[in-house]
Amino acid sequence: MVKGLLDWIDERFKIRDLWNDFADRPIPGGSSWFYVLGASLIFIFSLQMVTGILLAMYYAPTPDHAYASVKFIEEVAPFGSFVRGLHHWGASFMMVLVGLHMVRVFVFGAYKKPREIIWVLGVGLIAIVGGFAFTGYLLPWDQKAYWATVVGTNVAGTVPVVGGVLLRIVRGGTELGAFSLSRFFAIHTYILPWSLALLAGLHVFLLERAGAGGIWNAADRVPYKAEPLFPNQLFKDTVFIGMVFIALASMAVLFPAPLEPQADPTDSTYNPRPEWYFYFVFQMLKIFEGKLELLGTVILPNLGVAALLLIPFIDRSPERDPAKRKLMMAAGALFVATVIGLTIAGARAPIVNAPAVTSPSVLAGRAIYARNGCSACHGIFGKGGKIGPELTHVAARRPDAAWHLKHFRNPQAIVPGSIMPKLDLSDRELQELTDYMLSLK
Amino acid sequence: MSDQDVSRRNFMIRTIIGIGAFIGAAISVPLAGFGILPVLRKKEPDWTDAGTAGDLMTDEPQERRFFQTVKNGWQEERVERTVWLVKKADGGITAFSPNCPHLGCGYRWFSQERQFKCPCHASLFAIDGKVISGPAPRALDTLSAKIESGKVLVKFEIFQVGTTKKAAA
Repeated sequence: MVKGLLDWIDERFKIRDLWNDFADRPIPGGSSWFYVLGASLIFIFSLQMVTGILLAMYYAPTPDHAYASVKFIEEVAPFGSFVRGLHHWGASFMMVLVGLHMVRVFVFGAYKKPREIIWVLGVGLIAIVGGFAFTGYLLPWDQKAYWATVVGTNVAGTVPVVGGVLLRIVRGGTELGAFSLSRFFAIHTYILPWSLALLAGLHVFLLERAGAGGIWNAADRVPYKAEPLFPNQLFKDTVFIGMVFIALASMAVLFPAPLEPQADPTDSTYNPRPEWYFYFVFQMLKIFEGKLELLGTVILPNLGVAALLLIPFIDRSPERDPAKRKLMMAAGALFVATVIGLTIAGARAPIVNAPAVTSPSVLAGRAIYARNGCSACHGIFGKGGKIGPELTHVAARRPDAAWHLKHFRNPQAIVPGSIMPKLDLSDRELQELTDYMLSLK
Repeated sequence: MSDQDVSRRNFMIRTIIGIGAFIGAAISVPLAGFGILPVLRKKEPDWTDAGTAGDLMTDEPQERRFFQTVKNGWQEERVERTVWLVKKADGGITAFSPNCPHLGCGYRWFSQERQFKCPCHASLFAIDGKVISGPAPRALDTLSAKIESGKVLVKFEIFQVGTTKKAAA
């Protein structure tokens, strides 16, 4: 009876044929623990989807409710901390596994003909995963969320010519607010999941069409050996997925996802730090400063992505044995070492506690700056005019307090031809304004 | 395939199913609990100030609007509520939930006929809430109410409709 019904359905859907094709896909050289990473990514993505959908049931993407709703999830809702923990640590696991997956494919030369497009799609998938992470951590609207996003979106603002417009588009305005949160939420929950599902589907479909690459010397091995995807490879995949799940669930239980105090745009004592997987970007921003800033924010990241995309088209020899691809292995190792090195350096970067910024004279100086309309000509962090010099990092250029004092009293005496007006301020006020300038590093 | 191959294959298949079932079970309980439990919590209503008792006349039902603070998870809102108040000859007070127990429409008092009438399906109720005629399956729902130092206090709550027994929704 049941069998009859199943047969009836299968005559129409022909799922069994499809499954048999999939299950019998041969893996040259046999199944391997090296090949479990892709499947584990499908698992983590599915888990992120499910936990994300459930979190969305209680989450409110507006600045006045976001924090309270996350606090409710974390502290009141049954299993809320666990579900949010899974989602939070799931992002980190995804980053690690996606990185390992890419390295594995690179070393095995699995991006070579006919799998070039699979590699290109993979690079796109990594970009999407990065986008998920970046848009995801604004959502709780806590201090980390707010400040990391302020800094992260400012990176877009450094792009020449279109930077200002780009920054507004990314942020949904000139500063973070209601539009930022709803737009990040829409990107995080509608645009990126669909994009990822589509690209990942194509990624897996193309692999299905091209067949598994397997080990590089499979064809030369005697006797020739190949194992089917099911159950041999899926067995290893599942065991690994089980371990990943246990590790992830333990993290969610033992280390609940942090929730810092609610976002406070006026707090100048906070030390913004990105999540660990963006430390390498964070560190790069510190290395390249001033005129070189563009190198760190725009040029190198784009070159990096371009290089990844071009790998299968530059390295076109059919040779897949890593021992015979020494140049590629060296380049790959250098790339990985750079990312790891920057990540470690970023993690160990000293916390800059900024007492100078909070000192009363700096605050008073900031108030004087605002009161006297300095921002009509000068810009700080993208706010203000463009007639006078940009002051965002003025202390880096002019660290000398005496220079500022003299300059405020008589700008033309220090900078001939300057159109800056003399400031009619008391000595004390000039000193405060100077302190404020020196806090802008 | 040799016997050994077959048993190895079976072992792998069983492991796949076993681990899959383990993950499925371990994840579905917390996820279902998280998705469902917060909305199943019964909230005990608090006494809410429903205005002065001074202008109520004995045996003359009066509709009374007031605000109740409602907590929905992380959100506290002031929600406008309405009840029908009837002051009794002994000085006590009855408060009726404003929804017809048939399908939830808002009914009203017709002072000449001295009946509550529901505009949806013409259920009629007496001043004590009893069904006179129409499809209503039970009398009007009463809310806990009392008069304290000249003020009407009501425990406002919402009831299931369409059933013969009164039960909190």
